[in-house]
This record gives sequence, C-alpha cells and structure tokens, in this order.
Amino acid sequence: MNILVCVKQVPDMESKFKINAAGTWYDITDLAWRMNEYDEYAVEQAVRLKEQLGDADLTVISIGPAKVTETIKKALAMGCDRGVHIVDEAVAGREPYEIASAIAAFAAGKEFAVIFTGMQSQDRGSAQVGVLLGEMLSLPSVTTIVDFAYADGTAVVKRELEGGIKARIKVAVPALFTCQLGLNTVRYPTLPNIMKAKKKELLAVPMAELLSVEPRQETVKISFPEKKGSGLILEGDPAELADKLIRILKDKTGVLA
Amino acid sequence: MIFALSEEQRLIREMVRDFAEMEIAPSAALRDEEERFDRELMFDKLAELGLTGIVFPEEYGGAGADYLSYAIAVEELSRVCASTGVTLSAHLSLGANPIYLFGTEEQKQAFLKPLARGEKMGAFGLTEPAAGSDAGSTRTTAVRDGGDWLVNGTKIFITNGGEAEIYIILARTDKEARKHHGISAFIVEKGTPGFSFGKKEKKMGIRSSPTMELVFENCRIPATNLLGEEGEGFKIAMKTLDGGRIGIAAQALGIAQGALDTAVSYARERKQFDTPIASFQGIQFQLADMATQIEASRLLVYNASYRASAGLSYSQASAMAKLMASETAMKVTTQAVQILGGYGYTREFPVERMMRDAKITEIYEGTSEIQRLVIGASLTR
Ligand SMILES: Cc1cc2nc3c(=O)[nH]c(=O)nc-3n(C[C@H](O)[C@H](O)[C@H](O)COP(=O)(O)OP(=O)(O)OC[C@H]3O[C@@H](n4cnc5c(N)ncnc54)[C@H](O)[C@@H]3O)c2cc1C
Repeated sequence: MNILVCVKQVPDMESKFKINAAGTWYDITDLAWRMNEYDEYAVEQAVRLKEQLGDADLTVISIGPAKVTETIKKALAMGCDRGVHIVDEAVAGREPYEIASAIAAFAAGKEFAVIFTGMQSQDRGSAQVGVLLGEMLSLPSVTTIVDFAYADGTAVVKRELEGGIKARIKVAVPALFTCQLGLNTVRYPTLPNIMKAKKKELLAVPMAELLSVEPRQETVKISFPEKKGSGLILEGDPAELADKLIRILKDKTGVLA
Repeated sequence: MIFALSEEQRLIREMVRDFAEMEIAPSAALRDEEERFDRELMFDKLAELGLTGIVFPEEYGGAGADYLSYAIAVEELSRVCASTGVTLSAHLSLGANPIYLFGTEEQKQAFLKPLARGEKMGAFGLTEPAAGSDAGSTRTTAVRDGGDWLVNGTKIFITNGGEAEIYIILARTDKEARKHHGISAFIVEKGTPGFSFGKKEKKMGIRSSPTMELVFENCRIPATNLLGEEGEGFKIAMKTLDGGRIGIAAQALGIAQGALDTAVSYARERKQFDTPIASFQGIQFQLADMATQIEASRLLVYNASYRASAGLSYSQASAMAKLMASETAMKVTTQAVQILGGYGYTREFPVERMMRDAKITEIYEGTSEIQRLVIGASLTR
C-alpha cells in the first residue's frame, strides 16, 4: 500500500512575530521553524499504519524553500520511507488552493491508498488543504480525526463533534484524513534515526512543474489584535469594594444575573 | 567559517529539547529536593532515544554522530536538569569513551557495545581522598596475582557510582616508577567480589545525580580487563578528561542558558514601580552581560567539539571551554537569582537550584585552577 503524508513547516509558536513590510504576512526573518503540530499527528499515524501493514511505502511531502528539508528529514527520522520536496521560495504567499493543486499534481496516478494531513496549519489555519486535496483526487475526506484503525481496506475513525460528542466513521480506502490533537502521542525521532534520515531518498521537484492554477483568494492585510485597555482598579474599604464589584459583574458581565 | 548547525544537529537539538521539557523538567525540582536518581527517566529513556552512544560508530552500538551533537544533547538536558546532563556526560565521556579510545576489539564488543546502547551505565573512578587535582598520587594498588590483578583501595566522589555497571578505575601497578608512570587503567564490573560501595555524598547541587565511594578489597580483576598498556593509566585518564571537559562545559552552558531564559521571562512579567522590571536599564544591562557571556561560552564549547570530531588536538580548547562555561554558569545563575529577587531565593523558582548546580562545574573534571594550569602549560610549553 502507498501512503502519503503532507507536512508544513511553520514558525515555532513561541516566536516573537512581526508583520512584514507589505503588511500581508508575518516577517519570516529570525524565526525558529518546526513541523506544524497537527502534521506531527499525521506523520505519527502514517508511520503506525506502515508498521501495522509491514509492506507499505510511506512518502512525506512538503512545499517550501530549502529550509523545509529539515522538516522532511524529521518525518523521515520518525519512520517515513521517502521524502518529496516541492521547492517553492514563494510558499508563504500561496493560498490553500494552490498548495492543494500542487500536491494533487504530484500525487495523481501514484495510487496513494491513504493520505494523512494535519487538520490545519498553526500559522494560516485555513483547514482547507486537506479537504481540497481530497476533492482534487476524487477521494472521500474525513476531517479532524482523533482515532484511527485500519483493517482489510476499511478505516474506522473517530471524529470529535461539538459538545464533546464523538462520531465513528467507516470509510473504504482510498481516502484522506485530516488529523486533530488527541489522535496519538507523537514519538521522538531517535538520534540514530535522525542520522539515518539523511541516507533516505529525498526528491526535489520545482513548484513550477506542478502548479498550473491561479490563486483565487488573496490575503490583503494582517494585523495584531488591538491592545485591550488596562484592567480596572477598584479602591475603597472591603465592604464598598464588594458592592462595586457586584455592580460591575451584574452590569457588564453575565456572571451574576 | 560557517556558524550554522547542520540539519541533523538542529533536529537533535529540537528532539532533546522537546524530550527535556516534556519529560525531564517536570520532576527536576522534586528529584533535587529528595536527592533521588530516577534511572528509568534519567538513563533508560536516554538510551531509547539513542543518546547513550551518540559519538560512537554504529558497529559499537552508537549513533555515529559528532561531538557537537553530543554537546548539544548535554546542553539541552542541563538547561532543565543538570543532574541528568552529568549522568549522560559521565556515562559517555568518562565510562564509555576510554574503552572506545584505548580498548581492544574484544573489550569494545564486551563493554562498549552495551554501554553505547544504554543497556549498561558507565562511570569513572580516578579521585581518591589524597588524590584530587593531583591525580598522579593515586594510592589504590593493583598487584599481579597469577593471571589476574588484585585491587585494593578507595575511590571517592564517583558520579553514577552504585548505579553504573561498568567502571574505569585507575590504580598504581608499579610502586617504583615515577609518579605518573606507575598507574594503569582497569575495567571493573559491578558485582565483582571485593568491589563494594561506600557512602553516598550529600551535596549542595546536582543532588539528583548519585556520587559514591567505591571500595576495593582484594578485588580480583582478570588480565583481559586491563585497559591500554600497563603504566599507561595516567595518559588514559588525561585523554579521557579532555573529552569529558566538553561534556561538563556543555552542562555548564545548559545551566546558564536555563537561568537566563528564566530571568528574561520573569523580568518581562514582574512589575515594580508600575512597569515590568525588564524595562529598567539596570536589569537590561545585566541580561545583556549574561547573554553575551553565554554566547561566548557556546562558541568555545562548539569549537572544542568541532576540533574533537575533526581529529584535531582539543586539550587546550576543551580546557578553555570548560573554564569559560563553568565560570559563566556561576556568574549567570547568581545574577538570575538577583533578577528574581526574593522569589529567586526560594525553591518556587528553578534559579536557586541552577546556582547550586552551577558550582560543581567549576570543580569536577579539573577545577578552574587546573584548567588554567592546562591552558598555561600548553601556551608556555
Ligand atoms: C559531585 C562530584 C562528582 C565527582 N565525580 C567524579 C567522578 O565521577 N570521577 C572522579 O574520578 N572524580 C570525581 N569527582 C572528583 C573531582 O574531580 C575532584 O573533587 C576535583 O578534581 C578536585 O579535587 P579535590 O576535591 O581533591 O580538591 P583539591 O585537589 O584538594 O583542590 C583544593 C583546591 O586547591 C586548588 N588546587 C589544587 N592544586 C592546585 C594547583 N596546582 N594550583 C592551584 N590551585 C590548586 C584547587 O583548584 C581547589 O581550589 C567528583 C567530585 C564531586 C564533588
């Protein structure tokens, strides 16, 4: 069975973000980068499926500039068999439709029976690449899965619905799954496997060879939320303070009806 | 000259940092308080990650990575728990490395392999009550008895003592020879009759790392466990410490970085005089000095690691790295306590532990004075 997992390199979320000069995205200089958290669940699940099947072939794919090979190598160190790097210096400005199209162009005809992606990226958060890719490849997509089991051509997965309800979904492969927090505990890539990752196949494909669509949406402006006013400081003796506090809670919040 | 880590080195840093923060950090304060070593956490898990044999070739159970990867691993572990950092450093640099450098093929198969895989833990016994900085005054003796050696004497302050399965021991084999020339190195296994453990030290810092006395009473060691040539022990010990100092320098670097990180985030949160204390120039100047000293130390540590992997001489470089990084760790942790004020002095925050942990890096594997002797001697030779 051929398995595909799609990963994105995103800034470490503890970075100090600045907005770029054009005002359309964050400034990418001086950031530390790592694998999108949801994609780590996807890689982990893909590796588990491969380990379960034994004879599966697991490809990891990522789009971006030269530095994304580090993220691909992490996936290889976690257990993927081969890497595909779609080389694209302009990835930060791409919209989900372009990204999904490029991956679909690569995946077409390669008979991937199971495709895993993260539920969304931690930076753009559109949650569209997975489902768009499914559509483009004419595959059923099951989103935000928190449990995955596979046997005899059928996957049984759990999805989290609103209000804590869980749904169990059965789907015949080929199919695509987008992975949510809670799906699994991600393994650490061991040091020997990090060293061995550099010996695994890593194919580089220029974005231009795969991209044949025009963007259909554009991010016009991004901004930080406006600074909220500083907190309210009440003064007076305790009884007075309690009265003031109750009045505020009644008037301005729903805490006290 | 390229000042950039390789992809592998960056992935190793990310992996060890994630592991250290998720698994090692949560219990660091409690283990310190209880003076408790947790083998499962502080050694077996490192073995699973392939950290116990980082620098050794795959054929000996290692990962085939370089010294810089090793330094990064010790640095990241020590950033949250210096006791875990030294456990790895003493095991790898002091316990396993002399076997890799000086062992026969049989010794490597029998002892290095299980050490590198982390199935067994290593330790190194050089120091004695009367032989500290002056390691040549070793009084422990090894006397030939048939085909074996009979060892008698006491080693003190041995990191991983009691826990380790394999010990490298220095003993005098020739009473007539000049001081340094009559010493030999031996591989001694835990459980060998006549080899027992004395008292466990109660320490100021690295309290989660066991430090023990080793006692040898007519301990019979087979001739095949002689490491290197007879009389070569002092040279083996000095070479071993050259490598070990990279580990301790990395430990000191990690402690200092951990203290700086805590101080910076505290200073940004803590408000006095209606403003975060980080906005005071007096605080910023302190943080600037701390960060600059740490960065200088890091370059020395990484340079010594680079030289070790490149096959260049690194005795002077590792002494410089250890001297600079350990004295930086002491200064930076003391300053971090100052920046956290009264809170820094309490055990609610990790900086007082880091300050206690930092002190040992100026003492073991050669005191700062001994590092200056090593550097000075190599300059004026
Ligand atoms: C927690 C801990 C763990 C340790 N782990 C190990 C271990 O795993 N294996 C091992 O073999 N040892 C270990 N040691 C021992 C350690 O390496 C020694 O304590 C250290 O080398 C110093 O020796 P000493 O304590 O005898 O001090 P001394 O040598 O007595 O030194 C006392 C003071 O005199 C100074 N001094 C000595 N000689 C000179 C000189 N020529 N010029 C100027 N100043 C000088 C020293 O710098 C120091 O300030 C450990 C020690 C501790 C505390």
